[in-house]
Amino acid sequence: MNSARFISDMGKHAVVVNRVAETQWHAVEDDLTIGRGHTSRRPDGRMFLSIDAWHGAAFDRLADTMLADLPKPLYTIADEADLDLISQWERAGFTIRRREGEYLVPTDPRVTGLGSAPPPAGVTIVAVGRARRGPLLTLDRLIREEVEATVGWQEMPAEVLPRPDGAGAVDPSQYAVAAQGDEYVGLLRVATVLRQPRCRRIGLIAVRSGLRRRGVARALLAHVLGSLHRCGIETASADVNESNRAAVALFEGVGARRAGGNLELVLR
Amino acid sequence: MVRTTEGIEVEGTVIECLRNATFRVELENGHKVLAHISGKIRKNYIKILPYDRVLVELSAYDLNRGRILYRYRT
Repeated sequence: MNSARFISDMGKHAVVVNRVAETQWHAVEDDLTIGRGHTSRRPDGRMFLSIDAWHGAAFDRLADTMLADLPKPLYTIADEADLDLISQWERAGFTIRRREGEYLVPTDPRVTGLGSAPPPAGVTIVAVGRARRGPLLTLDRLIREEVEATVGWQEMPAEVLPRPDGAGAVDPSQYAVAAQGDEYVGLLRVATVLRQPRCRRIGLIAVRSGLRRRGVARALLAHVLGSLHRCGIETASADVNESNRAAVALFEGVGARRAGGNLELVLR
Repeated sequence: MVRTTEGIEVEGTVIECLRNATFRVELENGHKVLAHISGKIRKNYIKILPYDRVLVELSAYDLNRGRILYRYRT
């Protein structure tokens, strides 16, 4: 592996930055690794960076070297509460591109106000685990085609990624769906969090474009949250892209509380 | 505990999630450190919760600070 090498004086010691692999850089001072940089490519093709360093100067040296080596645009993720890290990336020229909030959603209908949130006429809700695999795979494929044709994967919550391995990853036991006749038109994926037995994770809510703004997503949410509440589950969590005003309004409208968030930064 | 040019790595248990994206981790020897999560964990949206078993790299400059490199499956 060819190494890109960068030397800078920091006080009486020199920090040496080496590219030690195609996707890895190390900052070394006195034979001790004091910082690491890493890149990885998301399934949507975007390249994400991370840098871990024990002091700001080492971060800056790693950033200088990596940014000189890599094609733009480059992306990174920071916890919105990690102000030091955010300022380090901004010092390197990155700017905030999007925000993703983590919401904690109560399940109690007395809190959510979803006790009576029926689906629109002609639409029925199929409970989690009851969806037929064939129509569910079709809906999943159609929704993914709509994402690619409209906003693109980069605008979806980070855990909703393009799936190059096709439809094999869809597990009907994790989905509630909205049906219109024999056709499925909306879905909600809910997953168990093994380490949080009293919480469930809402991974995705999606409705076919022609049926949005009619209360289908709200009816799916009402059904799933009500079911969780009857099972003794008090809370669900979900990540929401904050530029998606409809999604934010849906969750805030049922009393969801913002518990944290991540920033996606970009260097163009 | 392993001391290499890569730093000091030790296993521990997350005992508290703090503000500023930091965690209090109790190491196997009972020592408690403040730890951030590594960039790889952050990029992969791996959530760290209390009681998680984690691998922590201690700072070369301050043994009371660390970085969570890995979350063990429980």
